[in-house]
Amino acid sequence: MNNQTNVKLRLSNSELWGGLIGLALGGFVIWSGLKLKLGTINDPGSGYVLFYTGILMCVFAGSIIISAITEGGPTLASRWENVRWSKPLLVIACLAAFSLALEPLGFLLASIPLMLLLLRLIDPVRWTLAILIAVMVPLGMWWVLKRLLLIQLPSGLFGIG
Amino acid sequence: MDTLANVAHGFGVALTGINLLYCFIGVFIGTLVGVLPGIGPISAMSLLLPVTLSGTPESGIIMMAGIYYGSMYGGSTTSILVNIPGEAASVVTCIDGHQMAKQGRAGPALGISAFGSFIAGTFALVALMLVAPKLASIAIAFGPAEYFSLMVLGLVVLTFLTQGSMPKALLMACIGVVLGLIGLDSITAQPRLTFGRMELIDGIGLVPVVMGLFGVAEVLLNTEQAIKRDIINAKITQLLPNKEDWQASAGPVTRGTLLGFLLGILPGGGAVVASFASYALEKRLSKTPERFGHGAIEGVAGPESANNAAAGGAFIPLMTLGIPPNVVMALLLGAFVIHGLQPGPLLITQNPGLFWGIVASMYIGNVMLLILNLPMIGMWVQLLKLPYNILFPLIILFTILGVYCSSNNVFDVYVMIAFGIIGYFMRKLGYEPAPLVLAFVLGPMLENNLRKSLILSQGDLWTFVQRPISAACLTLALLLLIAPLLPSLRKKRELVALDEGA
Amino acid sequence: MSRYGLKTIAFAAMQVVGALLATAAGAQDYPTKPVTLIVPWPAGGSTDISMRAIADSASKVLGQPIVIDNKAGGGGTVGPATMAAAAKPDGYTISQIPITVFRIPLMQEVSWDPAKDFTYIVHLTGYTFGVTTSAESQFKSWKDVVEFAKANPGKVTYATPGTGTSLHIGMEQIAAMSGIKLTQVPFKGGAETNAAVLGQHTMLQADSTGWRPLVDAGKLRLLMVWTGARSPNYPDVPTLKELGYPMVYDSPFGIAGPKGMDPKIVAKLHDAFKKAVEDPAVIATLAKYDMVPNYKNTEDYKKFVVEVTESERKVIDTLGLAKK
Repeated sequence: MNNQTNVKLRLSNSELWGGLIGLALGGFVIWSGLKLKLGTINDPGSGYVLFYTGILMCVFAGSIIISAITEGGPTLASRWENVRWSKPLLVIACLAAFSLALEPLGFLLASIPLMLLLLRLIDPVRWTLAILIAVMVPLGMWWVLKRLLLIQLPSGLFGIG
Repeated sequence: MDTLANVAHGFGVALTGINLLYCFIGVFIGTLVGVLPGIGPISAMSLLLPVTLSGTPESGIIMMAGIYYGSMYGGSTTSILVNIPGEAASVVTCIDGHQMAKQGRAGPALGISAFGSFIAGTFALVALMLVAPKLASIAIAFGPAEYFSLMVLGLVVLTFLTQGSMPKALLMACIGVVLGLIGLDSITAQPRLTFGRMELIDGIGLVPVVMGLFGVAEVLLNTEQAIKRDIINAKITQLLPNKEDWQASAGPVTRGTLLGFLLGILPGGGAVVASFASYALEKRLSKTPERFGHGAIEGVAGPESANNAAAGGAFIPLMTLGIPPNVVMALLLGAFVIHGLQPGPLLITQNPGLFWGIVASMYIGNVMLLILNLPMIGMWVQLLKLPYNILFPLIILFTILGVYCSSNNVFDVYVMIAFGIIGYFMRKLGYEPAPLVLAFVLGPMLENNLRKSLILSQGDLWTFVQRPISAACLTLALLLLIAPLLPSLRKKRELVALDEGA
Repeated sequence: MSRYGLKTIAFAAMQVVGALLATAAGAQDYPTKPVTLIVPWPAGGSTDISMRAIADSASKVLGQPIVIDNKAGGGGTVGPATMAAAAKPDGYTISQIPITVFRIPLMQEVSWDPAKDFTYIVHLTGYTFGVTTSAESQFKSWKDVVEFAKANPGKVTYATPGTGTSLHIGMEQIAAMSGIKLTQVPFKGGAETNAAVLGQHTMLQADSTGWRPLVDAGKLRLLMVWTGARSPNYPDVPTLKELGYPMVYDSPFGIAGPKGMDPKIVAKLHDAFKKAVEDPAVIATLAKYDMVPNYKNTEDYKKFVVEVTESERKVIDTLGLAKK
């Protein structure tokens, strides 16, 4: 690691950010634990274990932050160096769109376009092959599940599937 | 001599045509549901329970048992091939198994897990025959305090699973515990951390979390690599483990089998703890711990043997005490009772034909599974030759289907996608998912048993130290925790850390 | 190409019409897929197994499998509460309703309202409860327990299937009447309490008849039963009344779905489960756990829910467990 990618107290230090997120989560867990009542040691309440786990989270997150400051850590940018960062983003976008579409459109209408997008957007597959896979595989799985295993996949507003 | 006569009698029952057929159907269905991620033995057995009622009790139970241990065989396949664990017990197989696949060694990985499963399964059966009644006491020796300490030990074991920073692994474990506690409190029925969402009342499912953190996150990581045509970097050289593989695996298989069998007897997360503990043990004993996480065959052989031996051990409390240690065993218990039999201390003496027949059928089933699984290895390895740009959309589709089928719930698909994204960023920042998953499974048991033992001891924390089994677990946990601080052992960890930095 | 498009449109139109028809025909066709029955206890206890036997018989009438889903915890309320919160009232998710569903709302804030959030379907049966101890225990009879507890207040621990269950409430009533103090340890159900008392982690177990095989095998000692008359299987074991506690606990239970179910679907489920509790095979399985069918139809079950809630309110008030 060289000096450009290993930074200490900078906003671009990825270790620092990881620790801060952990600390925030820990704080939230402590607060939730307190809200749920700790109970007594004779009869611990619903928040007992949450509260102490939250404290532990803060301790560990704290030590991550300390080592991030004292020893430094790789920058956020360096974590995505030399990789096609846009590709996972595209997959995430496709998955997000899919989850919005799944219930209204149903499994078949949502998953065929999803497959087509994934097959064409990342490392494009030939159109004919892409269409063939995108249509046949979801249809085949849907048939196996519905007919053989009696599992009904979401059919959506149009009742297709 | 008595035992031998009984075994012979048992084979007499198991080798009848109809029972052989049921046994084959059982292990075949088991292999299928084991390979399909998300669809576990529980749903298959629930659906098939009514079918078994038409035949004799022996046939029905032989088939149900076949589904159970058959699914344990298949469970590792997707872990190794595409980094999707089918169930919690095969999470740890992903760590080294998938690395082996990436190096073109999917064949040996699948092979050693099949052979390891066979050896462990057979050993568990012999032990089941010889010592089942004596070991029954282990199942009840564990009360709330002992469970709590065992869970603590299980969580400490995870520090050996990590290759990088310890605080990060521990933070992940804490997050796992908290995620596991989401939903209604099992003691007071109060909703916790549900944010008013109805779907969260029931808690977050294990399957969507595991499939998201492993399967989807792995896909996201792989797509950012420029044009990588297939999962395998190296050429596939062999389909079965070679001599060196066997030499490396002999110890792990033996130790994994013993560990798995003993932990399997315990009601609760026996198989999961056993597989993680076996991995930690092998890494600890290895002369080259730095290879773990980069395709060490020991990291596949040990845990896979452990979880199959645990499946055998789980029969002990059911057959001898009528106490089912997990949901699958409870389904079997249901099958027994509906057939008019009552598992319990009297079962073996009252129905020797049934008990020994089932045990004998499991021997036969294990052989069938080996014969069924070995030829399939070649087929699975061929799957990896699919170009990645075709394979990864299929992986995503199968995880979605697997998650949906495990609960019939669209919400779980959202959870999986969310955990896939979280998992991707975690991996980018050097946080590992395995400790989170282990803690997610153990967390609720840890909490429940802690609260019960504090009620029992009336707030006296000494109870954990005064009870011998509990004290032993805690001492072991403490030793494991301070071990990295001792100079001789430190070297090993530094090697590992260096490796991570490289 | 255009012909192809037309075909697709025609196909889609047919699907839409088909879907509309399907909704209209929903109640007639019901059930077209497996029905999930939530059993809010761990698998392997007396409730679980008796419900499996009942469900198996009912599924033959319905013509679709009934899949048991064990959602244990909260004294048998986690399952029904989850159903009330999340399941659709389409008849494909129903739940066993233990008495805690009515009782726990009187003791603490909960997420469900027993009077509003459920569609009650049919009342099925009730439990036989009993108190056991390990065969190796110092307690030979209930009298020994009372004496020990008087000398050591709070030291006697008992495992129950959950806080607020009939076992918990019953034991607290017994303790109040004898002037002793006992400590309750809440487990999730019979399979767990069996292990706890066998391993002597708790001194006593108060639970339904899941302990029977262990008592028969001489591993557990049955100290008392909570039925009106002595159990024919254990003629030597005294009832609560004989021990001087004028009570009978049987904790009857039935099944219900989420609120707002179609009455036609309710009727179909009711008929299927009624046939099931009349099935001799089911009666035989129930008898293994000293349970007898206690059938009530949908209307009577609704009335019963109101009555039981009122009587529970009185008990909870006298024990001082009511929510503040």
